Amino acid sequence: MLVALLCVGLGSIAVAGEPITTLRAGALESNSPAPAMAKPINSDIREIRNFPEQPPTIPHNIRGYQIDLNTNKCLSCHSRKAVGQSQAPMVSVTHFMDRDGQVLSAVTPRRYFCTQCHVPQHDIKPLVENEFIDADDLTNK
Amino acid sequence: MIAKIVAYWQLLNRPARHLSLALLTTGGFFAGVIFWGGFNTALELTNTETFCISCHEMRENVFVELKETIHYTNRSGVRATCPDCHVPHNWTDKIARKMAASKEVWGKLFGTISTREKFQSKRLELAQNEWARFKANDSLECRNCHAFESMDITLQSPRAADNHTRLLGTGEKTCIDCHKGIAHQLPDMSNVEGWH
Amino acid sequence: MTKKTSDKSLLPTISRRDYIKANAIAAAAAAAGIAVPASAANLVTDKSKTQLTWSKAACRFCGTGCSVMVGTKQGRVVATHGDVKSEVNRGLNCVKGYFLSKIMYGKDRLKTPLLRMSNGKYDKNGDFTPVSWTQAFDIMAEKWKAAIKEKGPESVGMFGSGQWTVWEGYAAVKLMKAGFRSNNIDPNARHCMASAVGGFMRTFGIDEPMGCYDDLEAADAFVLWGSNMAEMHPILWTRITDRRLSAPHVKVAVLSTFEHRCFDLADNGMVFTPQTDLAILNFIANYIIQNGHVNEDFVAKHTNFRRGNTDIGYGLRDEHPLQQKAKNADKAGGSQPMSFEDYAKFVSDYDVESVSKLSGVPEKQLIELAKLYADPKIKVMSLWTMGFNQHTRGVWANNLVYNIHLLTGKISEPGNSPFSLTGQPSACGTAREVGTFSHRLPADMVVTDPKHRAFAEDVWKLPEGTIPAKPGLHAVEQNRALKDGKLNAYWVQVNNNMQAAANMMEETLPGYRNPDNFIVVSDAYPTVTAQAADLILPTAMWVEKEGAYGNAERRTQFWHQLVDAPGEAKSDLWQLVEFSKRFTTEDVWSADVLEKNPAYKGKTLYEVLFKNGQVDKFPLSEASDQYANHENEAFGFYIQKGLFEEYATFGRGHGHDLAPFEVYHKERGLRWPVVDGKETRWRFKEGQDPYVEKGKDFQFYGKKDNRAVIFALPFEPAAESPDEEYDLWLSTGRVIEHWHSGSMTQRVPELYRAFPNAVAFMHPDDAAARGLKRGSEIRVISRRGEIRTRVETRGRNKPPKGLIFVPWFDASQLINKVTLDATDPISQQTDYKKCAVKIIEVV
Repeated sequence: MLVALLCVGLGSIAVAGEPITTLRAGALESNSPAPAMAKPINSDIREIRNFPEQPPTIPHNIRGYQIDLNTNKCLSCHSRKAVGQSQAPMVSVTHFMDRDGQVLSAVTPRRYFCTQCHVPQHDIKPLVENEFIDADDLTNK
Repeated sequence: MIAKIVAYWQLLNRPARHLSLALLTTGGFFAGVIFWGGFNTALELTNTETFCISCHEMRENVFVELKETIHYTNRSGVRATCPDCHVPHNWTDKIARKMAASKEVWGKLFGTISTREKFQSKRLELAQNEWARFKANDSLECRNCHAFESMDITLQSPRAADNHTRLLGTGEKTCIDCHKGIAHQLPDMSNVEGWH
Repeated sequence: MTKKTSDKSLLPTISRRDYIKANAIAAAAAAAGIAVPASAANLVTDKSKTQLTWSKAACRFCGTGCSVMVGTKQGRVVATHGDVKSEVNRGLNCVKGYFLSKIMYGKDRLKTPLLRMSNGKYDKNGDFTPVSWTQAFDIMAEKWKAAIKEKGPESVGMFGSGQWTVWEGYAAVKLMKAGFRSNNIDPNARHCMASAVGGFMRTFGIDEPMGCYDDLEAADAFVLWGSNMAEMHPILWTRITDRRLSAPHVKVAVLSTFEHRCFDLADNGMVFTPQTDLAILNFIANYIIQNGHVNEDFVAKHTNFRRGNTDIGYGLRDEHPLQQKAKNADKAGGSQPMSFEDYAKFVSDYDVESVSKLSGVPEKQLIELAKLYADPKIKVMSLWTMGFNQHTRGVWANNLVYNIHLLTGKISEPGNSPFSLTGQPSACGTAREVGTFSHRLPADMVVTDPKHRAFAEDVWKLPEGTIPAKPGLHAVEQNRALKDGKLNAYWVQVNNNMQAAANMMEETLPGYRNPDNFIVVSDAYPTVTAQAADLILPTAMWVEKEGAYGNAERRTQFWHQLVDAPGEAKSDLWQLVEFSKRFTTEDVWSADVLEKNPAYKGKTLYEVLFKNGQVDKFPLSEASDQYANHENEAFGFYIQKGLFEEYATFGRGHGHDLAPFEVYHKERGLRWPVVDGKETRWRFKEGQDPYVEKGKDFQFYGKKDNRAVIFALPFEPAAESPDEEYDLWLSTGRVIEHWHSGSMTQRVPELYRAFPNAVAFMHPDDAAARGLKRGSEIRVISRRGEIRTRVETRGRNKPPKGLIFVPWFDASQLINKVTLDATDPISQQTDYKKCAVKIIEVV
């Protein structure tokens, strides 16, 4: 019964022969091969932000980076004092502000877990293009 | 029983009367070889990862942590074993380290780090011992594999290339200064100098 | 770019090149004799060009309910950031929230209705073909009318969600329950919050938390019960992190079936065997009693004890052997009164030795955990989400954690707070408060209560008996009824149930493709649910419409329409209201109702439900002239305000008071009940909650006797556990980068590239034992279905041996083919955290 139901229907999703992009290939009942695990980008090249408030993505591998009660590995390069040696970008001044907007002498604990906002990237092409337009490009139009 | 021991000692203590010098020297030589071989075999046996992780203290704490890291699993499959990093490779330092290890035998016998909790509370002290050793020998065990002369920094990411040229190449820093926690989890780092 | 390694600093090469280029331009300009204007500097300084319009909105994702500032320019969203004026997030967002700007701009936005057609006609097996809205509603109305005529109102149904705005959910409830007279409307919150609701109703008689997020700054200890807040409620986690790290006495305990990011902050991290949380909860109650830490005065004045029915089955189909075996499957929610002494005796079985053995958590850690609750000096906050709710004993788990807080009197006070977190942005505001469940009506009323029905009919100005008394089909039953051909016209809005519903291959897909059924899916993107539909309706999303969400702490938040939807896309509200014009009362109501109430004859459902003198009461002039409002233009009155104000009459004066409509457009949300302009932070507590009578101290007014209930409920095993063949537990869930099924976040390149595909997190030893390593391609197989994925042995989640974790955001790996459609028999919520699977390498 089930097989019969599945055999009918499930014509591929298409508009006048043109496929609509979806996040999967193949019919719903099929199981496509799982793509190989993408490699983390480790270029150290900063990506342009989509808008000034966007947290920058992490342009390097963070495999095994420890952020816990003992230590924060990210700050060992990105803290105010560490950047002299590491030459990494310093965490911005917003990271020193507590809940009430008061600037503390050190990074606020509310920003302790870096990966809540900053994520590394993998070397993989997005499945769907995004048509977001940068405000600058609107300005120049 | 005591009489037997005394008689045996006397036998051993008497100069050889019936054995030739040649036999004595060759016998001594071979005995030496056997002893030396045995010593070295024992030394080598205790210098393997299998030996290290035969204790649950190592197997369930530091070894589990190592397995996640690049020193255990990586692109080419060349990996570091415990002694590669924690036992000096030249003979005198190795013996010195082995003698120091007798303290660890006591630790094992008295269960100093027999539970995860005990291990965690000792972690800072243990780590500091290793950092001090690495610092003192200019990260010798790192350099056994990672020689600055052999690094092709053009293949490194820009920031790594910069840091290695500026800090490692000039001798301003040694490997362990920046790479603490590269193979195991870090202890509470709040009072560790140079760690921001 | 070639890397010049002789350069010590490599990055400046880029700016150097730019510098040369700029110089070249200047030189060229000078040579041509052109004066370079000041603005030709590489900074645009003209304010008219750089100014953005900033407006507030609620975040589109989780139930935390962060407020965001949305920057628009020339009709497009160009920037977003955390709202510094918001109490919830004070300027912060998680990574998803920061990328809200891009969620509406996936290239494959649906812009026109699409109908499966062959040769110019609807054909269930045809290809999707663009049609007009008129054509779309024509075929929809035809199918709806045919189903109702042939089989009655129970053959039509709707599946919505906690992502509907408040008025969309309200319009849907009205259309279904009063218009079509079918209670077959349920939200995907059934998969998410139903057990939490069940827990609240059973223990307190009124839904939603008594405390609020202010507890996060007041508590001395936090206990996470099956909640990975670090990834799923990141902003609340920043508040816990802030509290834990800035006040050294604060402790964090984390319980889970696998180690995850919350363990990074845990003073006491505990991994327990799935399902044994029930035993741990009873152990804590036992510990409190055994060590004399019961708050006797509180317990005597404010609580009752009841023994709940046991052996209640697993919410499977009636013919399933597990259902047949269960003694109380039909009386799952029943209970009998008992004494404190009997209760104490009941929990005494849960001693530390046996619970430690059962759960796998060391005794010392269990005792440490129990002490956080037992010590009267420690203010403790319990937090939970899907670990408790997606549980075949989810209502029990909720009841049991309330037991602990009630035994110690640690409730309804700053910092003493059992807190049920929500998954969806308006699971509380819409699904629960509006009551889009098959058994509910607004403001905690239910269809089974004649007084509640009469009240609703009165507010809605409907004939007596319009609202059917029988609860409709809940989420899982809807899919079963579609498969069985009992539910034939079905509308899915603002959710992706083909990717969410458990046991997809046996119980979901067959129903959608059943030739007897007509399936409509409204969505902004072509999801897998849309792919399984017969008609797809393109939908306006988030700030493309005026909206309202209600978060987990009872906070209602509004936003304006900030940009226009692309193409022909229309909001769910427009779709619902416009569709109502296609029906007259004769089409859908029985003749006898109309005979008794002739005034309703010949009227459209639009006239009866929306142009009823209430919803259409507010003229367009009351809407803001700063913002567009597509629905107002379409219907000619301020429909959002009309719906909201009518809806608010349900709760005002009944413990669910909402402020006047306009207030919410100004405030960063208010927590209900809002009485005399003041929000309520802690309910049931004198001095905080205006509904508590003077001198009562605490008053659990949801119950007639003003007492909350402490329930005796045992440990019972999971519906399916690993055995010799299916030898691993499977738990499913989310990752921080993606929200739910990923239909929005997978279309943001930065989020996609951060976590592109689902993987099976597993213990390295489990992998090694099967000859697998990180990256091995595997088949994850259950008795119901399978997927192909890859092994991950490191990273953020560290399962114990015997358990794997697979996130469900990935449409290319539908893990819901594998999951079990066993539900909590009281809440009917699916258990997505426990089933048995095996793993085979793909060779």
